[in-house]
Amino acid sequence: MFDKKTMEQVEELKRGFDAQMKKRYGDKPFDLKTDGGLPIKPVYGPEDVQDLDFKNIAYPGQYPFTRGIYPTMYQAQPWVMQQIHGHGTPEHCRERMDYLAQLGLTGYGEMRSYNLVFDQVCKFGYDPDNPENGDMVGLVGVNMSTLDDYDRLLNGLDLTKTSVVLNQGIHSMIALAFYIVYGEEQGVPKEKLRGNTMNWLFKGWMSDLEMYPPDSAFMIMSNFIRWCSRNIPKWNTTNIVSYFAEEAGGTPVQEAAMAMAISIELTKACIAAGLEPDEFLPRFGFQIALGMDIFEHVSKIRAMRRMWATINKERFGAKDKHSMQIRCHSQTSAVSLTAQQPYVNIIRSAYGALVGVLSGVNGMTINAYDEALGIPTDESLMLAIRTHQVALYETGVPNVTDPLAGSYYVESLTEKICQEAEKYLDKIEKLGGFKKCWETGWLREELANSSYEWRRRIDRGEKVVVGLNKHRSEVHRKTQIYKVDPEVKETCIQRIKEYRATRGKEKEREQALAALKVACQGVLDNHKADFMPALIDCARARSTVQEMCDVLKSIFGWGTVY
Amino acid sequence: MLLSKSRMDVHDRGVRYLARCMLESGMEVILSRHGLIDEVANAALQEDVDVIGISFSVGGHVAASERLRKLMQEKGIGDKLVIVGGIIPDDDIPALKKLDIDGIFGAGSSAAEAIEFINARVNA
Repeated sequence: MFDKKTMEQVEELKRGFDAQMKKRYGDKPFDLKTDGGLPIKPVYGPEDVQDLDFKNIAYPGQYPFTRGIYPTMYQAQPWVMQQIHGHGTPEHCRERMDYLAQLGLTGYGEMRSYNLVFDQVCKFGYDPDNPENGDMVGLVGVNMSTLDDYDRLLNGLDLTKTSVVLNQGIHSMIALAFYIVYGEEQGVPKEKLRGNTMNWLFKGWMSDLEMYPPDSAFMIMSNFIRWCSRNIPKWNTTNIVSYFAEEAGGTPVQEAAMAMAISIELTKACIAAGLEPDEFLPRFGFQIALGMDIFEHVSKIRAMRRMWATINKERFGAKDKHSMQIRCHSQTSAVSLTAQQPYVNIIRSAYGALVGVLSGVNGMTINAYDEALGIPTDESLMLAIRTHQVALYETGVPNVTDPLAGSYYVESLTEKICQEAEKYLDKIEKLGGFKKCWETGWLREELANSSYEWRRRIDRGEKVVVGLNKHRSEVHRKTQIYKVDPEVKETCIQRIKEYRATRGKEKEREQALAALKVACQGVLDNHKADFMPALIDCARARSTVQEMCDVLKSIFGWGTVY
Repeated sequence: MLLSKSRMDVHDRGVRYLARCMLESGMEVILSRHGLIDEVANAALQEDVDVIGISFSVGGHVAASERLRKLMQEKGIGDKLVIVGGIIPDDDIPALKKLDIDGIFGAGSSAAEAIEFINARVNA
């Protein structure tokens, strides 16, 4: 990077620096590591970036997009402030949506953006009156069981100016079917709807929850992507979420490698379903963790952008630049939050937000300070949103794109994370790739080991968490904890019973559910059919979440992998 | 030792850490997932464990503890030790104590504390 004369100068200055260091500290090594365990030095210099290839860094908006996916970032368009939320009945959730909008939550341009989390009951494919639901109706998400619920949630909003993230977890295809029918009945054609589905059926890799088995999961995801790509090409189909890997204990290197492994496996599945990479890759998004080690996480995001661009171009022959640009939603680390002295979490999340802005993410969720205790209160949500706004308007950080570029440390660490993540990805591929490593439980074990090490370091006092293992405070300021309305479960049960009794369309529904079964069989038979049109018909015929999910589960299989 | 967490609750980092620490301390540990809390009571009876530990991270702990204690009485295993952990707000601790939950290990508790608590009450 530097010419010979400059490097000679650098070497001379470096000799002087080394001599000073030696005089002061002797030969004692500093033994520094990033939070993710990468060895680092106390000081970096030109010699650490001298051998880097500038083509791998480039300018923002240039391949391999290390420095950001657009030539200008926040100068032209602030990040999307997307607070993830959802609880109770659709009315409770709508109240929060309006509150967030009133606080200034914005999407791109004129769009309003809502990141909606559905409750565990509908995510797992149950209706609220199913005894299997374990009292989780509306507890940590909004219960959305029928088409009527979509009207309760969205009534009066201009859908053409609304972008919705339908976080219906593994059953986000059901949410999209309902949303399409709701739009249709409001006179908004499906092509005009904007938003995201999760489509993260790969999520079973890091937990032992109920799930579709890995083979079926990839058939479902790729079939869903194929239908969306051909019918609603502007819809963002898939969230390659690696945030969970970090939350489950993964290091930044593991998070980066696992995200790439998922994307590679899913890209292969979509190609096998008959798609060209450029037909679907532009509609993949990412959800990346903004952890506590600021420079390590900034470097990780820069490394991930470079890796994804390189993989898609070189390995899959993508030509459209949108197939190489990570649209990166991000979330401040929840695992860093403590239940002790919860107000300290405001500071942690603000540092997380700084990571996001320094990295040039496209969207961000800033966790509220009380999220180690429950879902946020109105007050804690307000503070989270104000954190976005202070970062945007007051800190000056958004003025310059990728302001850490050229930092000896950050460039060197970005390169290091790229190399380490590539090695780790190589290991996953040698073990048979992501799907195989999900089946064998290898990935999950890796995360468990990292998580175990992390906690051991805290218990031994090697890693300090303020308020947890150091500076504990007995003066306990009481925090208000949000309590979900206890009537929610009963209300939802009453409603679903009434809905079943009054919805009509018996014959249409019977036919639609039978057709869904046939379509799912067709999907398993090498993608000879698409399941989405059948699901949409089921939603038109007023089926409930569980009625549709029961069909999917009966064909694709359902249970725990581990 | 039977440790369990709801099949619908993904936050299993803590309970898995605890299970591993317990194993390392020499305990026999079964780590499981449950749908209804009834499954935990049945498993405790079948496996004849000394201690039942349930991890809660998304609420519902008071109702589940109440039902668990009731089922344990019915099955004649009411004498077994029950501990709960995870996200347990301070306000709920009196209610859990009233239900004869023996140990409550919320946020900030260490695995060592839970192990010590059990060792002091159960003969190996």
